[in-house]
Amino acid sequence: MSAYTSKIGKGYVLSSTLISTAMILLILAVLFVNSYGAIIEVGWKLFTLKWNPPDARFGILSMLYGSLVVTFLSLSIAVPVGVFTAVFTAEILPSKYRIYVKSSLELLAGIPSIIYGLIGVAFFSVWIGELFSLQSGRTIFTAAVLLSIMILPTIITLCDDAIHNVPRKYREAARGLGLYKYEVILSSILPIAKTDITGTVLLALGRSLGETMAVMLVIGSIDKMPQPFYNFLVPGQTVTSKLGREIAESAFGSLHFSVMMFMGIVLVIIVLSLTFVAQRYFKTGRLYE
Amino acid sequence: MKKLIIMCIFTLTFFLPCSNGFSDILRTWNMKTMFKPGSNCGYVFLLLFVAIISCTSHKKEIIMVSGSTTVLPVVSKAAEQFRLRHPDVNIVVNAGGSGVGINLLGGKKIQIAMVSRNVSQKEIEKYTDVLFVRHPIGRDAVVPVISSEIYNAGVKALTMAQIARIYKGEIRNWKEVSGPDREILAVDKEKARGTRHVFMEKVLGDKEAEAPGAGLVVGSNNEEQTAIAQSDAAIGMLSNAWINDDVKGLSIMLSDGDVIEPTLENIINDKFPITRDLLLITNGEPQGKVKEFINFIKSPEGQKIVEQSGYVSIHK
Repeated sequence: MSAYTSKIGKGYVLSSTLISTAMILLILAVLFVNSYGAIIEVGWKLFTLKWNPPDARFGILSMLYGSLVVTFLSLSIAVPVGVFTAVFTAEILPSKYRIYVKSSLELLAGIPSIIYGLIGVAFFSVWIGELFSLQSGRTIFTAAVLLSIMILPTIITLCDDAIHNVPRKYREAARGLGLYKYEVILSSILPIAKTDITGTVLLALGRSLGETMAVMLVIGSIDKMPQPFYNFLVPGQTVTSKLGREIAESAFGSLHFSVMMFMGIVLVIIVLSLTFVAQRYFKTGRLYE
Repeated sequence: MKKLIIMCIFTLTFFLPCSNGFSDILRTWNMKTMFKPGSNCGYVFLLLFVAIISCTSHKKEIIMVSGSTTVLPVVSKAAEQFRLRHPDVNIVVNAGGSGVGINLLGGKKIQIAMVSRNVSQKEIEKYTDVLFVRHPIGRDAVVPVISSEIYNAGVKALTMAQIARIYKGEIRNWKEVSGPDREILAVDKEKARGTRHVFMEKVLGDKEAEAPGAGLVVGSNNEEQTAIAQSDAAIGMLSNAWINDDVKGLSIMLSDGDVIEPTLENIINDKFPITRDLLLITNGEPQGKVKEFINFIKSPEGQKIVEQSGYVSIHK
């Protein structure tokens, strides 16, 4: 390879990097420029409870609350189940079966979200409605359970990789100390894999905060705070489902549209700050490197 | 064709020398090196391929249609038949709701908006450079609908005032309107939906009225139908054509005691209180193929589709 082609290769790499960076900055800039009108004209009233565009009442608090609750609930269901399943596939299951389990899980992770949404609206919400004898099964809780099913395959396969990547020597040393298998897993393997598992949880959080289609179909789309606030068996609204339902109805450039963009930027800020916090507090690095 | 040649020359002169496979060929005069691993000649040919495809694809005239899910069944069937006769035209029909249709037409992204209500003053003011021209293609009624369980339990007709009080949240149980002792699930629609505009204008007096009694908000007619069929105590609003065995249409009791059933005759003779025109809206008078398509829907053949879809023809 000549020096000329090597230079070109370098150019390719550099320009690809610049393009991806520019894309992110562009998205942030577009969101900010478009939401500027909302920040100026509505101001602090954005963080109120009442939403009614014809009266120029733009309170996004109930949607923000819905997003946070749905994400929190779905993670608190999916993370324990996912991590323990990963412990099973990586540590207990004989390795010749692991590949089958893993590839079928990866298949599940690739199912488009609209499919989950349709199953959710046709069967799942009806079951939840009957189970809790509700008027309607389209609730915050339904959306959270559906989301946790959606993010479960991702959590399992990534955690499985994380646990599988812990070098043998740690297991052997722990066994050599005479620990039982569950002690090896709890006190040696999981702490070592902790950083990677945190990364997985962050990824799942991003997906569950950003999921639109499936949530939109099962959550009921009422812009109200649950009464009382911990009653999750009532219809609600998330930022993404609100955007999905209303963004096309608002005229481009109107105040309504601008508030929608503002909701988008709030979502981005939440994800960015959570990523930042997680990276800051879990940056111990991999112990085995 | 000229465009194609220019694109090919452009791709070859700028990208082929950049690929290290090409410089290997120059050095060794061996064509095999071109497809060696590590050679990026493949990308150049991919680019060439894309360039050729993008230039040779045959250009059809595309008519974009979008909007109300009430009008959608008529237009999509009509588009199918129209395409058979005019193979050079492609008609893309999308849903989204009347409000979405008007916004897209206002933004000049589509040629025809399907709308199941009138264009509001606000919308006309918002898009000053767009001249909304209405083309009625049929008539329809918005019918208050309830779950079959409640209908069979004896609630067959309500007055407008009762429906209004349900949506305001003042009546919360079916027994208050002589039904069974069950809580009412009032199903509302997204604010820009045409069906909601027409319904709320007649029931609550304001097309964008808030409905504090609503327990669920849905979008399209399909979604509304599913939500009401799944519940055993729901009330909602649907276009007349979407009523079926699980979703029963309520009769409306007038102030003089007359009970008007949601039948086609009552829509034709304008007795049913909540009727509307189904519209296609264009920006200015339509030209060319757009005009032909709209005329096709207005023709006897197109009106047959309107009637098959459960609506009333404009000729009646």
